[in-house]
Amino acid sequence: MPSNTKTLVILSAVGVAMLGLGFASDPLYDTFCKVTGYGGTPKIADDNLSEIIDRTVKVEFDSNVAQDLPWKFKPDQRSIDVNLGQSGLAYYTVKNEGDEPVTGVANFNVMPIKAAPFFIKTDCFCFEEQTIQPGEELSLPVIFFVDPQMDEDKRLNDVKTITLSYTFFLTEAGTMPAQNVSLTPS
Amino acid sequence: MVALPGENISAEPAGYHDDGKPKFFARWFYSTNHKDIGTLYLIFGIISGLIGGFLSFMMRMELADPGIQFFTNEHQYLVYVSMHGLIMIFFMVMPALIGGFGNWFVPIMVGAPDMAFPRMNNLSFWLLPTALICLLISFVVPGNANGNGFGGSWVMYPPLSTTGHPGPAFDFIIIGLLAAGFSSIFGAINFITTILNMRAPGMTMHKMPLFAWAVLVTAFLLLLALPVLAAALFMLFTDRIAGGTGFFDPARGGDPQMFQHLFWFFGHPEVYIMILPAFGIVSHIISTFSKKPIFGYLGMAYAMVAIGVVGFVVWAHHMYTVGMDVNLKAYFLAATLVIAVPTGVKIFSWLATMWGGSIRFTIPMQWALAFIFLFVVGGVTGVMLANAGVDAYLHDTYYVVAHFHYVLSMGAVFGIFAGFYYWFGKMFGVMYNKFLAAAHFWLFFIGVNVIFFPQHFLGLNGMPRRYVDYPEEFAIWNQVSSFGAYITLAGVVFFFLMLIEAFIVRRRVGDNYWGEGATTLEWTLSSPPPYHQFNVLPRIEDNAEH
Repeated sequence: MPSNTKTLVILSAVGVAMLGLGFASDPLYDTFCKVTGYGGTPKIADDNLSEIIDRTVKVEFDSNVAQDLPWKFKPDQRSIDVNLGQSGLAYYTVKNEGDEPVTGVANFNVMPIKAAPFFIKTDCFCFEEQTIQPGEELSLPVIFFVDPQMDEDKRLNDVKTITLSYTFFLTEAGTMPAQNVSLTPS
Repeated sequence: MVALPGENISAEPAGYHDDGKPKFFARWFYSTNHKDIGTLYLIFGIISGLIGGFLSFMMRMELADPGIQFFTNEHQYLVYVSMHGLIMIFFMVMPALIGGFGNWFVPIMVGAPDMAFPRMNNLSFWLLPTALICLLISFVVPGNANGNGFGGSWVMYPPLSTTGHPGPAFDFIIIGLLAAGFSSIFGAINFITTILNMRAPGMTMHKMPLFAWAVLVTAFLLLLALPVLAAALFMLFTDRIAGGTGFFDPARGGDPQMFQHLFWFFGHPEVYIMILPAFGIVSHIISTFSKKPIFGYLGMAYAMVAIGVVGFVVWAHHMYTVGMDVNLKAYFLAATLVIAVPTGVKIFSWLATMWGGSIRFTIPMQWALAFIFLFVVGGVTGVMLANAGVDAYLHDTYYVVAHFHYVLSMGAVFGIFAGFYYWFGKMFGVMYNKFLAAAHFWLFFIGVNVIFFPQHFLGLNGMPRRYVDYPEEFAIWNQVSSFGAYITLAGVVFFFLMLIEAFIVRRRVGDNYWGEGATTLEWTLSSPPPYHQFNVLPRIEDNAEH
């Protein structure tokens, strides 16, 4: 007769393994997005070594600021036309309209999602935290290119516009969001 | 028929009185007997059903007319919506189907004396009232600036469940759901061990009754899905602590979408957890009252296995609108539609079982037939919603509300009532009053259809879920829907009248009161079964029907 204890041990191990997988999903999901560009995560490279080919895409720029950050954040240009493989340079302007110096960091993603694996950044203000003094205005550059391999993927034949979007968030050093919300009705 | 050595194995020898029943407190509070624990689960399910039903009744009262009538604000309404969902799923359907009927009949059906780990069974049950108390506490402690309680729906998406509800209300929900989750995981381990290791001689897996099969598949789903929910809840919990983690907080490099993936990786198997045991119950009822063995027994068993397996790889169809790659949508669409195949196998096998059978329209058979009809309605709208393009239009509308209430509020709940009436005499030794039971059935059947069918129209016209108020043009169908809630309430009143009447009048029933057609092992025992069953070990012969 099979032992109940043995079955219990095996089944408990399965349960614990699933629990572990649940927690492991956070780093796994992160790595997966960075490697595959899934969910519009653009790739990062040190250099642009690709050849320039004769297909242009329009790169549009979008900006957002988290609710608790007193910043004004706008792209200097609405869009740039680039050939595949050609490096593009764009600027964003950010201004601290609050009374205190604040540190923020920008998150980014790319639409359409299927173009994200081919959208590569070589330099970006979003790689670092930005501390801005009250009233100070900064010009933030981003250098990028669209991988010419995109031309070989039939699924992306219809892509004529790629939108690069940034959202500035308060960094860890700032007040925690959970404490920011008052429990009493205002 | 299951062949047994010796007639009437449950008959007590002359002068045999003591079956070792403990006194009241020890029997019900320290209980390790699977039948007593099953009864406790059923009572618990009825109590939770009353609480969850009260919440939904208040929602329907509110929505009967445009404007805000009964609730102080949107938040309070959303608290009722959220608690209705959580209580009905975790504290009514799951305890009744799995804990209640599962505990009562799985050991008997496979020919086992009790569950594999009776003490753990006791732990499983008593974690649940603890969990429910945590959820009820969350009602009266601060949620956010708009009032008490948690209003982020049963899906608990961040940031609404993190920064959106800084108060302790949601912490109580996390604790309660973790307790309920671990209760179910322990229960699942218990069921799997019982079914795999403790079957009677001759009871091979392929001779096992379909309800035992259903509970086996359900238990595996619980074991694989619930730990993922537990992990997601732990992460929410640490995200909520000031200066804690940022798993789901984009400002700290997290991703709120990941919670949705984790939640639905649990949440989709969860909907099968709620319906598979009902499939098992309905199979027995259809077979019994058609006086035929179930059509395509192996197909029925493996259809449930297939539903369980495929159920794990379709979760993102709940989140088509998050901005997903079109190829990913195409995959989840196709995988979701595949589930219609094993489900279709089950529906057609039930119809084929009835075909040419000598059908008796008893009360449990009426519930089972209504189950099939309503589940098909809910299944068809599910196939529609599975289409990513259509879903973009219908997502978060009342069409979705109508869909999942047809499969749950009418599918799972009709399965529960079907099982309740089928086994009522077996569990309690007395027969219900047929008139009261019929009144319960018809009022409930008409009531829930009047509630939910008009919600299809509301959804198709674009009425969104989770709002306390709505524009004038949705008023008529909302009024009809609320009227259905009053009919359903009348049905519930008859359910309790039926219970009270049955326990006062006490019409005794025999061992197998359904007669020919009821072939599983519980019908070989007395009604109610002896405190410890199988004085003679049942042996299942090779040619036995299922």
